Amino acid sequence: MILAKLALGFCGTVAVAGVYTFHEGVMRVDEDHYDGRHVHVWVPAAIVPVALHFVPSRHFEHALEHASPWLPTLRELTKELKRYPEADFVEVQDGRQHVHIRTHQGKLLIDVTEPGETVHVACPLVMIEDIARELEAKAPAA
Amino acid sequence: MNVPAPRLTEKIALTLAASLLSAAVHLAPLAAAQTSPASGSSQNAPVSSHDRWLHVRVTNPGEKEETVRVNVPLELAEKVLPTINKNRLHGGKVRFDDVDCHGVDLKALVGAVRSSKDGEFVTVQSKDSDVRVAKQNGYLFVHVFEKNRPKHSQVEVKVPMKVVDALFSGGKDELDIVAALHALSFQGDTELVSVKDEENSVRVWIDSKNVTE
Repeated sequence: MILAKLALGFCGTVAVAGVYTFHEGVMRVDEDHYDGRHVHVWVPAAIVPVALHFVPSRHFEHALEHASPWLPTLRELTKELKRYPEADFVEVQDGRQHVHIRTHQGKLLIDVTEPGETVHVACPLVMIEDIARELEAKAPAA
Repeated sequence: MNVPAPRLTEKIALTLAASLLSAAVHLAPLAAAQTSPASGSSQNAPVSSHDRWLHVRVTNPGEKEETVRVNVPLELAEKVLPTINKNRLHGGKVRFDDVDCHGVDLKALVGAVRSSKDGEFVTVQSKDSDVRVAKQNGYLFVHVFEKNRPKHSQVEVKVPMKVVDALFSGGKDELDIVAALHALSFQGDTELVSVKDEENSVRVWIDSKNVTE
């Protein structure tokens, strides 16, 4: 009986944790090359900002040196983009190359298609905003 | 440990119900976020009271596959621009110097245009091009027509004077881009720039739609 209770409690916890993990959606990066290489990354958006806490600060130093001036811009941009959950912002068609930047269902979608290569990125805006905040907190004071 | 089967079933049901309830509570914001776009999917639905979009469209009539479409909410640009501090752009303002203007005091020039009555200020007609600068009904018009090309090219610029005033409302030697965008957001649907030549067609305009036609 105790085992059954433990199993039920565990299942309930897993269910709640699963729901929480995915409640902000999923970050997707799909890269397909016509030479057969494929990269597909699916990460629950909620865990990315949390994972940043566990990255040693020395790994951030170089990146933050270049990125820190743009972090307020990124944070403000994503905050504003959340107000436009369904919008086309940039579309460039040049022969067989196509770039499309838009928001859909609260995600920022970037699609790049060119002969031999396609890249599709989908990032929940909430996640980008959280990351910008996390990185700003880690960035050295100006 | 010898629990009757109905009680065990009851406990399982309770645990399952609690899990589902927690899931529902956590999923509610997600569901709301995913349903809201459906209601906002009508292309002309306004997001805010003065939801204005700046559109840029570049097309190549010869090569129909070459197009650029940019749609930017003016409010977004107003909020984001002040956060960019790079080169001459700081706090939503662009600095310029005398060299850029060839010694012309732009602020004084705009002041003179503002205080003058409607009319044509510059009219140049030559064998190569026609240039016309005029102020009419609160708008500043610039019209350039180049004849000396295999095919003619034409540039039309129409800027509300309130936007021009806002642009020069900052300090000396700086253009207040954010103030100009703010002034622009209170304008009606307007075509600001139109460029047509033998290769490309460029249009810049504002309206309340979040897509280009």
